[in-house]
Amino acid sequence: MSAPATTGPAGDRASSGPDRLLPIADGARVRAVLRELVRPRRRVAVLAVAALVAGSAVSLLAAPLLGRIVDTVAAQGSAPRDEGTGVLLGPVLGLAGIALGQGLLAFVGVALIARVGETMLARLRERFVERALVLPLARLERAGSGDLTSRVTDDVKVVGTAVRQALPQFARAAFLIVLTLVGLAVLDWRFLLGALLAVPIQVATARWFLNWSGPLYTEQRIAGGAQQQQLLDTAGGVATVRAFRLHDEHLGRVRERAQALVTIGLRLVRLQTRFFGRLNAGELVGLVGVLVAGFLLVRSGTATIGVASAAALYFINLFTPINIVLFQLDAAQSAIAGLRRIVGVADLPDEDRPADPAVPAGGGVRAGDLTYSYVDGHPALSGVDLDVAAGTRVALVGTSGAGKSTLAKLVAGMHDPSGGSVAIGGAALAEQSPDGRRRTVALVTQEVHVFAGSLADDLRLARPDATDERLRDALDTVGALGWASALSDGLDTVVGDGGHTLTVVQSQQLALARLVLADPPVAILDEATAEAGSAGARVLEVAAAAALRGRTGLVVAHRLTQACDADLVVVLDAGRVAEQGRHEDLVQAGGRYADLWGAWSGVRRDRDG
Amino acid sequence: MDAPTGAVNRTSVLRTSVRAFRGRLIGGTVLLCSHQAGEALVPVLVGVVIDTAIATGDVTALIGWLLVLALDFVWLSYSYRFGARLVLHADLHADARLRLEVARRLLDQRGGAEAGRLPGGITSVAVADAKRVAVVNFWVPTGLAALAAVAVAAVSLLRISVPLGLLILLGTPPLLWLVQLVGRPLERRSGAEQERAARAAGTAGDLVSGIRVLKGIGAERAAAERYARTSGTALSATLRATRAEAGFLGTVELANGLFLAVIAFVGGGLALSGSITVGGLVAAVGLAQFLVGPLQTTGLAGARLAQARASAGRIADLLDAAPAIGPGREQAEPAGPVGRAADGSTSGAADGDGARPVGGLGLRELRHGTLDGLSLEITAGQMLGVVATDPADASALAACLAREVEPDGGRIAVDGSALHDLAPDVARGRVLVAAHDSHLFTGTLLDNVLAGRAASTHTDTAMRAARADQAADTLPDGQDTEVASRGSSLSGGQRQRVALARALAADPPVLVLHDPTTAVDAVTEAEIAAGIAAMRRGRTTVLLTTSPALLGVTDRVVVLSSGRVHADGTHASLMDDPDYRAMVTG
Repeated sequence: MSAPATTGPAGDRASSGPDRLLPIADGARVRAVLRELVRPRRRVAVLAVAALVAGSAVSLLAAPLLGRIVDTVAAQGSAPRDEGTGVLLGPVLGLAGIALGQGLLAFVGVALIARVGETMLARLRERFVERALVLPLARLERAGSGDLTSRVTDDVKVVGTAVRQALPQFARAAFLIVLTLVGLAVLDWRFLLGALLAVPIQVATARWFLNWSGPLYTEQRIAGGAQQQQLLDTAGGVATVRAFRLHDEHLGRVRERAQALVTIGLRLVRLQTRFFGRLNAGELVGLVGVLVAGFLLVRSGTATIGVASAAALYFINLFTPINIVLFQLDAAQSAIAGLRRIVGVADLPDEDRPADPAVPAGGGVRAGDLTYSYVDGHPALSGVDLDVAAGTRVALVGTSGAGKSTLAKLVAGMHDPSGGSVAIGGAALAEQSPDGRRRTVALVTQEVHVFAGSLADDLRLARPDATDERLRDALDTVGALGWASALSDGLDTVVGDGGHTLTVVQSQQLALARLVLADPPVAILDEATAEAGSAGARVLEVAAAAALRGRTGLVVAHRLTQACDADLVVVLDAGRVAEQGRHEDLVQAGGRYADLWGAWSGVRRDRDG
Repeated sequence: MDAPTGAVNRTSVLRTSVRAFRGRLIGGTVLLCSHQAGEALVPVLVGVVIDTAIATGDVTALIGWLLVLALDFVWLSYSYRFGARLVLHADLHADARLRLEVARRLLDQRGGAEAGRLPGGITSVAVADAKRVAVVNFWVPTGLAALAAVAVAAVSLLRISVPLGLLILLGTPPLLWLVQLVGRPLERRSGAEQERAARAAGTAGDLVSGIRVLKGIGAERAAAERYARTSGTALSATLRATRAEAGFLGTVELANGLFLAVIAFVGGGLALSGSITVGGLVAAVGLAQFLVGPLQTTGLAGARLAQARASAGRIADLLDAAPAIGPGREQAEPAGPVGRAADGSTSGAADGDGARPVGGLGLRELRHGTLDGLSLEITAGQMLGVVATDPADASALAACLAREVEPDGGRIAVDGSALHDLAPDVARGRVLVAAHDSHLFTGTLLDNVLAGRAASTHTDTAMRAARADQAADTLPDGQDTEVASRGSSLSGGQRQRVALARALAADPPVLVLHDPTTAVDAVTEAEIAAGIAAMRRGRTTVLLTTSPALLGVTDRVVVLSSGRVHADGTHASLMDDPDYRAMVTG
């Protein structure tokens, strides 16, 4: 368990390429972060623990009181029988008082401990999201999008469930066990000795169970996820399944995944039932221990029958809390693993903010000798120079893999160039503050994502303080106001995951409307119109042109019509600039671009002269 | 939507799911009852030990009764172990069985199950609802066993003392009912709050999956601030919920404690008057505490059954969904001759053994959606371009040809036989429609192209023709690269090329490609157009597109307008029409 503080590049290379994954915090770091989070609410935490301890203590008073009743009865054994129930009144009222105190303290203790736990969890996940969102894109891409997504969904959920369900139960049960053992010791230390006979069995059982259950639960989670993914995949593509007559294959896949889940489930059932069997053995040994201790103590006159009864009742009442604690150990184990992965990200340093950031003036873009490699020795872009006057439009043209998207990302500041530099408005991107850079340049790609929530909320991500009027204007600019107003609740319609589903064209119009709202001097569109069918592409081209009005625009173009209207066409080939110039000039020149244009326009004779 | 067939309902789903595992459930119920009886005996035996051994100091009695106690533990432990295994096994198998049934209906060739349902909704029926129905196999035996435990405890209590037994037996249910009464509104509120909290927590996942989009418009800070607000709202909702839960818990403790005091008072009185022994009192108190468990279990089993009924209803709705199309005639034998069309015409080349359909396609007066009496003859082997001025025409035509829908009117014939007379599977074997939004499945890139067939040189040719080989070259593991679900790990252009390669590799008699290259750059598109032409030479191919590069390789182009053929000619000749020219290059 001695992992390095953060799994750095040189960390544990042995275990399947973790140097690509985001960091995982070690136990010490997790504890430090938890301490830091608990500090502002220390008082509530102390109160919570005090209430839970007091609650357990009060509940333990019940057994001695019952013992007192037993003793009263035993003492009466030979005496006259008509003394009445008056002698019982004291202990019985005590029991009622205990009930009251127990109820009240349980309420206060559980409410407070949940409050502390939930608040800490909320602060932690907020910090996690804040740090995750400013992670450099290159770092995210190296880790794969799944790593971050699984942390923000699965891990936060596992930890959340543990805090919500396991923490109060666990805390109460644990305090109850400890205090019961103390109570047994107070009755007579030999009762405690009898009860402790169960401990070795329970410890061994817990160890054995955790050893096996951890991996098995993980396997079950993975298999469950695989089944879910499989079904989503099949359900989402069911028309394709039909077209290619793949039903048998897909049914086979579902069957296979279901079978795997059953197999794991059967193994878990076997493990759990054996676990409970061993715990039963522990219960028996402890109970026999307490009863034998009671027998010996009563025989030697050290304890009364009432005390022995109380001890037995104490121990019987321990069965449930012990089961709770041991059964929750598993949840605790996964929660700790999840916590390490959450803290790993939440603990990342915030963005660097240069002390004296460069401030851009205008929207001219100048790139010099730009080089970028995703893999060392294989430059995706080499020695690219680009000079774009403010307010003009450049079309980037070239085959897949020519470096268009890479150039777009570098100019947008998403990746830092391996060589050369990009300056916008005369200020190098690297010298601008992160927030300044965000205001200067925006990138819209073919990746559509509609954020879950109202349409207005989605748009306000780009400009949080925008009025409804301004949102409407932006939608109008990209030709989306018509359908947006026609939605059932207008701008308040819930869209995205779980809400109204927008078409690809509508989603991309929304992305362009966000661009209009963000209103940067420089905008880059990377195949922002490519996902739609041919009819949709045209709608989007109009929208894109409107969104670019008044900005410096860099457009990665598929449809060469976008290149016709550009002020400058840059043809990339294998990471280098092959040609650049105006559309007409390039067509006249008869080079690469002219070939492209010929293929595109379907005009093999030159009709454009 | 069409009316459901009514063959499956909520009750039948539940009943079948339980009945399939009858044997295990009966065995499991017996064993679980025996386990509960053993548990109920523990406090009774402790009382006996106190009475006969501790109170008397009799060593033999102590050893004897401790042995009995040990036997009881062995009994209860093994009863639970094997009983729980039987019912949990039934639960697991029932779960898998229901999921398969849902999948089987979803994958039925006649479709219709997915109508009006999102993939997530279908998955939730197949996973969450199936689980909730299957778990009945666990809860019915467990509930019965809990009732048995109540019975054993009742008998023991009544044997100790009739009045005390009656007090406990008659007092416990109203007590639990009262607790439920207090708890239910709290629970309901807490459920709603928890749900709100969970939804808010989902926002984080949503923001993170859109992280590139956020970064693109520099909205990282705005998104983080929004999340902080959402998380704050979720926190207050959760805190309200936990307060309610804590209140409920406190009430339960209070009620149980007060009831215990009453039992102690009455039981103590009875013991004082000599009606019961000391051990009897201890046992009664122990049994009173024990009873709470099984009684709560019975209540819980009831709640789970109600939940299962609702889930069974959702499963039944899906299983019972009306098919989108008819079954066609009898399932035609795959390799046999093509059947005769209803009008008596025969399909020329398809008669006789081993002859393969040639792919002549006839559309007569086809009406569906925006299609308004479309008639069109496509001779076998022709490469036809279809340019739709209204994209809805192209979509409607694709849906009819794919036999995803029954046309509202008119008919489609392949090699003379009516498409709707063929079994859906056979029809789709003749006419393959590669939709624009064709889905890529999880698996490797090559798996996707093969689509269940064995690899061959034909696959390679298709990969090359669609330039999917080039797409594969840029991926880390080439054509063995795993494609994430929905192809989300690929760019739009890569996705389209893989989908196209899959369609070409299938090599159907009639291939319909709907906008296959919209996300592909101009150079690659031109190469693909040549590839399609070479690969489909002599095979009927319909290109629903406005791309000039694709139209340039067709033999013939028809222009659809207002749901009918508006112009018919070659791409080159139609290019002289300024409207057409504007449409395909505009």
